Amino acid sequence: MKQVLYIEDDKEIGAWVKEDLERRGYTVDWLLAGDTAMDRVIGADIVLLDVMLPGLDGFTIGQRLKKEAPQVPILMLSARTAVDDKLQGLRFADDYLTKPFHPDELAARLDVLLRRYGQPLELEIACGHLIIKPQQQAVYDGRTGGEISLTPKQLQILFYFLDNPNRILTKEQIYEAVWGDPYMDGDKTVMVHIRYLREKIEDDPSNPLIIETIRGIGYRVKR
Amino acid sequence: MNPSNYRPRGMTLKRSLLSRYMLIVLSAIMILPISLPVVSVVAFLQGGGKVADTEDSKLYRDGNRLESMWHMEAAKLGNRSPQQIDAALERKKTEYPKAELFWVDGSGHTRLQLPETGQLPDQWSASYTVQYMKQGVSADDFTIVAFIGGSQSEGFMVFKIPRVLMQSGAAEASKSIGPIFVIVVLIVLAIFLFISLLFFYGIRKRLVRLQAAMAIPAGNGIPAPVATNQPDEIGQLELAFNEMVGKLEASREREANEDGLRRDLIARLSHDLRTPLTAIRAHAFGLKQERLTEEGRQSLQLIDRKIEYVSQLIENLLSFTLLESGKYPYRSERIDIVRLARASIAGWYPAFEQQGYEIDINLPEAQIYWFVDPEWMERVLDNYFQNVLRHAKSGGYVALRISGEHGGRLTIADRGPGMAETSDERGAGIGLAIASLMLEEMGLFSEIVSGSEGTFIHIGTKS
Repeated sequence: MKQVLYIEDDKEIGAWVKEDLERRGYTVDWLLAGDTAMDRVIGADIVLLDVMLPGLDGFTIGQRLKKEAPQVPILMLSARTAVDDKLQGLRFADDYLTKPFHPDELAARLDVLLRRYGQPLELEIACGHLIIKPQQQAVYDGRTGGEISLTPKQLQILFYFLDNPNRILTKEQIYEAVWGDPYMDGDKTVMVHIRYLREKIEDDPSNPLIIETIRGIGYRVKR
Repeated sequence: MNPSNYRPRGMTLKRSLLSRYMLIVLSAIMILPISLPVVSVVAFLQGGGKVADTEDSKLYRDGNRLESMWHMEAAKLGNRSPQQIDAALERKKTEYPKAELFWVDGSGHTRLQLPETGQLPDQWSASYTVQYMKQGVSADDFTIVAFIGGSQSEGFMVFKIPRVLMQSGAAEASKSIGPIFVIVVLIVLAIFLFISLLFFYGIRKRLVRLQAAMAIPAGNGIPAPVATNQPDEIGQLELAFNEMVGKLEASREREANEDGLRRDLIARLSHDLRTPLTAIRAHAFGLKQERLTEEGRQSLQLIDRKIEYVSQLIENLLSFTLLESGKYPYRSERIDIVRLARASIAGWYPAFEQQGYEIDINLPEAQIYWFVDPEWMERVLDNYFQNVLRHAKSGGYVALRISGEHGGRLTIADRGPGMAETSDERGAGIGLAIASLMLEEMGLFSEIVSGSEGTFIHIGTKS
């Protein structure tokens, strides 16, 4: 069970978020003020922080928490959407959500952050007819059970898609995430690699089901 | 400041420009009549020195005295022998060494000549005598003719001196004093003109300095105060200028304070509005877990949509306030607009897809660079896409195109009812207003063509 450290001064919203997250299977440690947050951050998996707090403000607490426990991701909650708040917040916060947020979106953001922060990966990911085992860096055909051998770059591309499910990724994003270099004008590398990847994992590479082409924008893998 | 009760401070009449210029004019007027006698005196003193040097002028100056002296002498010599007359003439010659003396006897013979000039005839005819007398009167010489013994029968004696000898030193000096007067007057005039020029040059310099100070604003857009050191009219002008600058600065500051208060108020309001909205959403979400009729479920969905909409309005209100007061942070950089637009539509794609839009993307392969703030640009595109999603659902079509012409032209198109049609969610105009304000601030050109067949939004760099 994931431990969420939740700092929120509004009792009504606090009670609701705590209840909702607990229903979703999280353990919630809810503080009304940030003064004691420093002792509680050890042992938490993620921090949910409201910006408008009495006493120390959310930004100050966030910066201290980040110094104390850099491995714990912070999700900022704010009623203020002033842009300078947003910029200041993102310097230490890993993500940002403005009120009034939808509980489903909050849960989704928490999930993404936890996954990004090196929490134990899922053992098995099902995607179309593929079974992917992240710890073994292996991909299987779910129908035959046979392993599909991919090159390291192809694996990296596939895992990048799986880390960003349902998002449309542009060729620039893919190139920069997988190769780690700035994208150069007119580079066809991503296109070529995805074509080879499709030949290995799709039943019909000319009519792909797993890696979808969004014409003019990029690619998407739905989960 | 009310001009009627504006009283120059610290300015006395003595120090005003007017009285200073009057002083210059007056001294010029005074110096002319004063300078003329002064020049005369100086010239006379120099001439007096000449008189002291020689006795000539004293001796020969007075023509009347010479004349009476000569006639008396001639009268005394009546009935005397020629030898006695010669001796008398020689005596006079020693007395008046510069004079030319001679006498002619009764028969018209030229007798003693002192000195001998050789110009006189031995025998005087009547006609020659008349001619000589004429010459003597008109010529440069001063000639006195006296009949010896008072009668014509005994002959006559002549005393002749150059007229030059009769002029006094002062008169001599006054001859050369005319040009000196002209020169003095010219010098005085020149000095007056020069001083006037200096005076007006000084005024001009200060006015130009003041003008420059007014024209060049300091960092805050308000001219800097000028240094004042002379309490005259221009000094007063400078003081008034400084006072005005001070008031401008104060009002600018007050304005900034008020603006800050307003922004603070809106930021606070935004917070105070969002918190209860979150609570409303929480309760609505709680209701969803209950058993509900289909109608109840639809009501809840509507509540959720309206909450989202109100929160968007609050966000826009805050952004608009910040933008308008120039407090929206702006960090421009060179960015690839194709890449930015692609990333932006990628984020909106699922939403359009879900609503059943036909999505038409046409982006070039080549990069196109604009110098803009990427966050601003994202915000602009977000506002436009959101507008399409909200108001152009009936068209079921959204297009994003970029062409490389004219430094890049970005077009967002839909087939909605057009902007003239009112949509069920009014007030969304503020989002578009923010977008065009941001484009304007970034120095981009934008054009919205809206009709019943749809709306085209064109964005591009200004050529």
